[in-house]
Amino acid sequence: MIDVRASTPLAPVEIGEPDIDDVVVTDRPWLVIVWNDPVNLMSYVVYVFQKLFGYSREKATRLMRQVHDEGKAVVSEGSREKAEADVARLHAHGLWATMEHPS
Amino acid sequence: MTARFARRGEHLQLTMSEAEHELLRALPDELRELYEDDSGTDEARERLFPRAYLDPTEEHAEEEWQQLVHPELLRDRLTALAQVTSSLERAAVGRRGELTVDLSPDEVSAFLGVLNDARLALGTRLGVSDDTDLADLEVSLAQRGDPRAPMTAVYSWLTYLEGELVEELLAGLPEEGEDD
Repeated sequence: MIDVRASTPLAPVEIGEPDIDDVVVTDRPWLVIVWNDPVNLMSYVVYVFQKLFGYSREKATRLMRQVHDEGKAVVSEGSREKAEADVARLHAHGLWATMEHPS
Repeated sequence: MTARFARRGEHLQLTMSEAEHELLRALPDELRELYEDDSGTDEARERLFPRAYLDPTEEHAEEEWQQLVHPELLRDRLTALAQVTSSLERAAVGRRGELTVDLSPDEVSAFLGVLNDARLALGTRLGVSDDTDLADLEVSLAQRGDPRAPMTAVYSWLTYLEGELVEELLAGLPEEGEDD
């Protein structure tokens, strides 16, 4: 994957104006993804989503179902630092989580 | 199966048979060995300490993240093992020869983590998949004389016990979230 921040061509702008396109690209959030695994209990995954992210039972259950049925789900997003911290908390609870920056 | 959890205010009381107590007491040593094996060849350990970045162009970020986070993840897991050991040492024999111990919320978290890691490790070793029928797996391993055959019964029992624990914990959490 190519780092979009480095490869985005600069739009022609007048000197002194902020580069709006660049700001948008830089702000694109990192996605924290939880992958399906055959061992973790469905109820446990719901519990972890509620406990770590403060989600409602309904939202936590919906995300767990998505992980199970589709193989993965985006469970949180934000800056690189936030995503790294969330992945660490998910790993501490035995969930298989990774982070990525959509291009 | 005797083992069960009962809510006592903020605490949970665990009741178990002597055999179940023995089984649980063996988990911390087995997991400690697995956590500290850094030969890089054990897939169970890889499962417990996975990568954060899948993108190979983020290898540098992955290395930095591992350096920063891994010691912390390892330390917290080792602390949980010690907590579980000390909780189980407090277990006292009650009526009908069962053992009981009262677990604080911190001890409950440690217990949950250890049960879950033990299942992840065993499940990986047994090659459990979404379609695995554990009874069939046990029979086929036993027929081949595979030494992993008895692990399937332990795995099933841990699944039962963790399920009981999670039900109690979910019952103690509100339905609503911060997203409502």
